Amino acid sequence: MKITLKILFVILLSAASVFPQQKKNTKHSMLNIDCKTCHACQYPTTDDPCLKSCPRLKMVTVYRSPDEAPAITVLNELENKYEPVVFPHRLHAQMSEISGGCITCHHYNTLGPVLPCKRCHSTERKREDVSKPDLMGAYHQQCLTCHRQWSHKTECVSCHKPKVKGKKLNIEQKILSYKQKKHPQIKEPTRIIFETEYKKGKIVTFYHNEHTKLFGLKCVNCHKEENCLRCHDVKNASNQNPAYYDTPVKIHLPKDQHHKICMKCHRENNCSFCHKNKVSETFDHGLRTGWKLNRFHKDLSCKQCHKHGNRFVKRPTACNSCHPDWKPGTFDHKITGLILDDNHSDIDCEDCHIDRDFSKKPTCNNCHDDKSFPKDKPGKED
Amino acid sequence: MEYYMNPAPVKKVKFLTRGVMILILLVINAFVFLAIRFFGGLGAMTNLDNQHPWGIWIAIDVACGVALAAGGFTSAALGHIIHKEEYKVILRPALLTAMLGYTFVALGVFVDLGRYYFIWHPLIYWNGSSPLFEVGICVMTYVTVLYIEFIPIVTERFIGKVNLKGIFASLNKMIDSLLRFLDRGLAKTMFIFIIAGIVLSTLHQSSLGTLMVIAGPKMHPLWQTPILPLLFLLSAIAVGFPMIIFESLIAARSLGLKPEMKVLSGLGRMMGPMLGIYFAFKLGDMLIRGTFVYLTEVNTQSIMFVIEVVVGVIIPMRMFFSEKVLNSRLWLFVASALTVLGVFLNRINNFLVAYSPPYAFKSYFPSVGEISVTVGFIALLVLLYRVIVMNFPVISLPDKKKLPMVKYAIKGGEQ
Amino acid sequence: MAAQNRRDFLKTMGIIGVTAAGFSTSTTKAQEKFKLSEDRIGVLVDTTVCIGCRNCEWACKKVHDLPAGSLEEYNDRSVFENKRRPDEHALTVVNEFENPDNVLLPVDVKVQCMHCEEPACVSACIVNAYTKHPEGPVTWDSDKCIGCRYCMVACPWQIPAFEYDKAIQPNIMKCDFCYDRQQEGKLPACVEICPEEALIFGKRRDLIEIARQKIKREPDRYVDHILGENEVGGTSWLYLAGQNFSKLDFPKLGTDPAPGVTEKIQHGIFAYFIPPISLYALLGGIMWINRGKSKSKEV
Repeated sequence: MKITLKILFVILLSAASVFPQQKKNTKHSMLNIDCKTCHACQYPTTDDPCLKSCPRLKMVTVYRSPDEAPAITVLNELENKYEPVVFPHRLHAQMSEISGGCITCHHYNTLGPVLPCKRCHSTERKREDVSKPDLMGAYHQQCLTCHRQWSHKTECVSCHKPKVKGKKLNIEQKILSYKQKKHPQIKEPTRIIFETEYKKGKIVTFYHNEHTKLFGLKCVNCHKEENCLRCHDVKNASNQNPAYYDTPVKIHLPKDQHHKICMKCHRENNCSFCHKNKVSETFDHGLRTGWKLNRFHKDLSCKQCHKHGNRFVKRPTACNSCHPDWKPGTFDHKITGLILDDNHSDIDCEDCHIDRDFSKKPTCNNCHDDKSFPKDKPGKED
Repeated sequence: MEYYMNPAPVKKVKFLTRGVMILILLVINAFVFLAIRFFGGLGAMTNLDNQHPWGIWIAIDVACGVALAAGGFTSAALGHIIHKEEYKVILRPALLTAMLGYTFVALGVFVDLGRYYFIWHPLIYWNGSSPLFEVGICVMTYVTVLYIEFIPIVTERFIGKVNLKGIFASLNKMIDSLLRFLDRGLAKTMFIFIIAGIVLSTLHQSSLGTLMVIAGPKMHPLWQTPILPLLFLLSAIAVGFPMIIFESLIAARSLGLKPEMKVLSGLGRMMGPMLGIYFAFKLGDMLIRGTFVYLTEVNTQSIMFVIEVVVGVIIPMRMFFSEKVLNSRLWLFVASALTVLGVFLNRINNFLVAYSPPYAFKSYFPSVGEISVTVGFIALLVLLYRVIVMNFPVISLPDKKKLPMVKYAIKGGEQ
Repeated sequence: MAAQNRRDFLKTMGIIGVTAAGFSTSTTKAQEKFKLSEDRIGVLVDTTVCIGCRNCEWACKKVHDLPAGSLEEYNDRSVFENKRRPDEHALTVVNEFENPDNVLLPVDVKVQCMHCEEPACVSACIVNAYTKHPEGPVTWDSDKCIGCRYCMVACPWQIPAFEYDKAIQPNIMKCDFCYDRQQEGKLPACVEICPEEALIFGKRRDLIEIARQKIKREPDRYVDHILGENEVGGTSWLYLAGQNFSKLDFPKLGTDPAPGVTEKIQHGIFAYFIPPISLYALLGGIMWINRGKSKSKEV
């Protein structure tokens, strides 16, 4: 009996001490964040987290995948004159991936769950603590800072449907319509010619499609602080004009910001790599690296050979550095599309492929004075 | 030295001359515009707006009016306080000018006030920190004092001569005894009013300068200075005598009299040092505050400042130091006129030219109506002056009879 | 005769002295009214938040019984082509300025009476028609005003407007901080309607603290200057901006209270009425001496 009591006591004690310290808390205390960013006291507990009141001096990074985010939120805390606003939350969360992330709106959030706005923002305009805006102000400050930049309008009705007596807005229908809504496919530019101020090479030609398709970069890899207005500003004529991408454009960001984006991958200290005096051609593996891609390699994505992340390190050119099982005697020449005839199948590779350089065309005049490749072939094509 | 005092109504000239007709027309013209102002509001006929709340009605009617009526208190100081007997001949004309000048100021204020019917409010709602309140109270009191000072001239004219006709005839005796009572009473107390008049003038002449100090950066630094009240007082004192000379010479010509050149050049002799003091303060202020740098910019303000100082102060100052000028009727007139112009310009500069408010959509220039009203009031003033000198003993006529000195010049030569 | 006059003279002096004493007590009373409450209120205008919806203009007119029209009319943004000023028809206006950092986010600035801590209008008004309330607002009393417009000359922010078109009872029109509404426990109309809460209503000292925090938190967003904290001795309305205030058409003003110099001069001249009385006595003295001389000469 005594033992059971003891055990019970220990369980209770441990439960009492363990329970308040939830998993998340122990986890976030390990993160590389100054505790004082959020906590005012030395030893915060779950009961008394002694959180600093918002707005704090610094923000902590909150990241949640858009898939976790609620699809729609209905803002109806302030409905007296207008119908509630149906806010397509996930759509915005997705867009935020390339422009600042959740933190853009969910500022000063704790590292725990993402808190709803009204948790901090009062619904009363007349109040004692005015250090943060009331809910109406908070909502409008968040929405309009972006929205008015492309609509250039501040009318209430652009978001709020005015209340009509006897008629109720069909919220369900509205929600449904938003749920199906997706951001339309973004038209990707192929080539952008930047006109820079670098004197030795004014023109930087940027092949956008190469970077996405060939080099396999995702939008977010480069577009991080992107502003919706890049496309959504109706007043900006360049957004309506498809010719935008083929005429030289002045750089739109400060020089170092442009460099920052490119130099994440292009780490060479060689200015002339990008800065040229004329529009440069698309990427040519042979010209750039001296190792021309043959018809087999041409169709590969870069990553299939350059496997180390975004860095394109020079690979050894010997075939067996990638094809380790290609050895004399075991190599099946058929794979190149040419089945060697019997006369050639037994000779050494070097007899035709001088210096074993397989990127160059083979020579025939080591043995045959009157033959040349590719007019004459040492076998039959597959 | 033998000076004589025999102020008497000027009877020799005809009242209605061509000039007088023009003046009457100007007055009528002013009244037409005044009708618009009183029925349509200030906006109906003035160019005033929210950026330019004060126009020429304040700058000319009030500020210049007060300054140019300064002859009243400077001459009173000279004649009554310092007691220079020889100048008593100018006291009555100067008093009349001051009285009419201040009436003109009051009229100007009256039409300029948005709520003219509340013009008496400063009497009951006091604000000690407002220079305008001080100006208002002082001007109101001073006007009263001036009228009181003028009463002896009225009593002198009418005592024993009250002769109302018809049913009013029975009042004759009563009015006559009232006049006698006033005359006796004032004879004993006049010095109170004379001193009060000078004190009040000193106060409000300077406070008129304080008015614009609060406008701060809205006023061009060439004029905006904390010693504005002192400059206003000094310039008012300086313009007092030139104004008397100026108007005596005009009146003499208009009324066909021989001007008292001895007296006038005596006044003129004092002008050099007086203008000198004023100029020294103005120059010193400019040097201390370093505002001369603004003179290198060429704009309306700097040009107006140069005109004001050179034409209105330096040139007349030099002229008043010259014997030739002092003894010449024409040159004395020119020098006085320039001084008057200088102070006139100074007031306009302070209240209008220097005042450059932010956010002004347009600059201020007086409308035809505003000019008409101001001109009309001046015309009215001249007319009243003419009427009064022709009916009351104001101007001393050269008279063969020598009369004994009087107790107070103000009381007149009657025994 | 001479004795008679001397007695009169002294008597009169006495009377004037007593009147002056009465006057000077009333001037000291006037200074006391500038005692302000520690909890006096204010509004912090964050121009980086304002979107220029002009709802405040509409609400202000509604509350002050000025012709306001419908709220929808205020969506018209073409009014921003010209810079406007508060006038007799609108006690507050919003002006729009280009934002050098982002052309798409123009800067909108609401303008109205700043409700100075030491208001020039209160000091200047000839009939004491203006009142600085301990709670902060500066209001104007129609019953006293004579329409001299000296307040308009005095105001360093160029705010009071005058109804020039009215022949009878023209009013001085300026923001009254919705003093009457505040007495009823309501917020000023503009603060209440502002969708963004770009107008933060609170105690002035709290607002200064909030403004400082905002600047500290986002030094790129704000210039390090709270307009109205010290200008002309401080104002109840405070402004934050992302660029120099002179670019937003604010006048450049020093920290000395606007009525400072004037009141010093006034109180110097009228220090318990001593200077005027001394002058009076001095002049009297000179007159007396000179009079005696001429008398003897005459006799």
